[in-house]
Amino acid sequence: MPVDSFRYLSRLISRYYKLSRVERELPIPWTPLSGPLNDTRFGLVTSGGLYHRGHEPPFDLEREAREPTWGDPGFRTLPACIAPEEVGVAHHHLYADDILADLNILLPVKRFQELAGEGCIGSLAEHAYSFMGYQGFPADLSGWHEDSGPEVTRRLLADRVDCVLLTSA
Amino acid sequence: MPVLARMFEAAGMSTVMVTNMPFWAEKIGVPRTLGVEFPFGHILGRPHDREQQMRVIRQALNVLEGAPEAGTIVHSEEQWPGSFEEACEISHPTTPPPIGAEMGRYIGSFLRGIRRRRRQG
Repeated sequence: MPVDSFRYLSRLISRYYKLSRVERELPIPWTPLSGPLNDTRFGLVTSGGLYHRGHEPPFDLEREAREPTWGDPGFRTLPACIAPEEVGVAHHHLYADDILADLNILLPVKRFQELAGEGCIGSLAEHAYSFMGYQGFPADLSGWHEDSGPEVTRRLLADRVDCVLLTSA
Repeated sequence: MPVLARMFEAAGMSTVMVTNMPFWAEKIGVPRTLGVEFPFGHILGRPHDREQQMRVIRQALNVLEGAPEAGTIVHSEEQWPGSFEEACEISHPTTPPPIGAEMGRYIGSFLRGIRRRRRQG
């Protein structure tokens, strides 16, 4: 059975998304795997609005409250060895309690450390990255395109990452 | 996320995106996608359910290894273990986001515009 993308959305929003025009940009980029998974270094990226509490500011939810059609286009850096109590969630559109209870439902650092320990993957990058998925309404992705996306790409490459697992929030 | 997956892939990294909205992966064009019918914010499963999280991750790794071409979307058969009502509850914040009312007005006007254009042929 195909996944129902609209299972958890209102009928109004579902209808809006279905009728929205989006140009499919071709060709879709493609990088073949560089080798077997047990020789591969993984990076993790999510759009869950996560941040490293006490080290970086949260996403700017105050501005979003003042300007509801705007969403913070930045990114935050989380060490793979982050302590659970240092994880913050700044996202007006998510239920955060379960993420704070177990980061791995969105950013699976512990699971990937286990996979590396089992020899299923080569290694996990030292840092993971979070964006905040709400980019305004209607969405404006120019900040991701022009600034934060290229910067996270540069950092992942500098960390010798071969593969990235992305989790949408 | 589709935009970021494309950007990483174009820079030479292989990607797999796990999402509960494969609709966008299809529409925008994402290299490799695993769709899961889980609530928002719970894309890999329930808190502390290591086995379920690992099953979804291993499926994603299989997609990464086995996708034959760009644009591959695999639909997971993994079921959300709780009730639909509970899943809906944890899929959304307890306080509506700031855009809430404004979004309803905007979409209402957008849909009225489409109906009007259809009537005008």
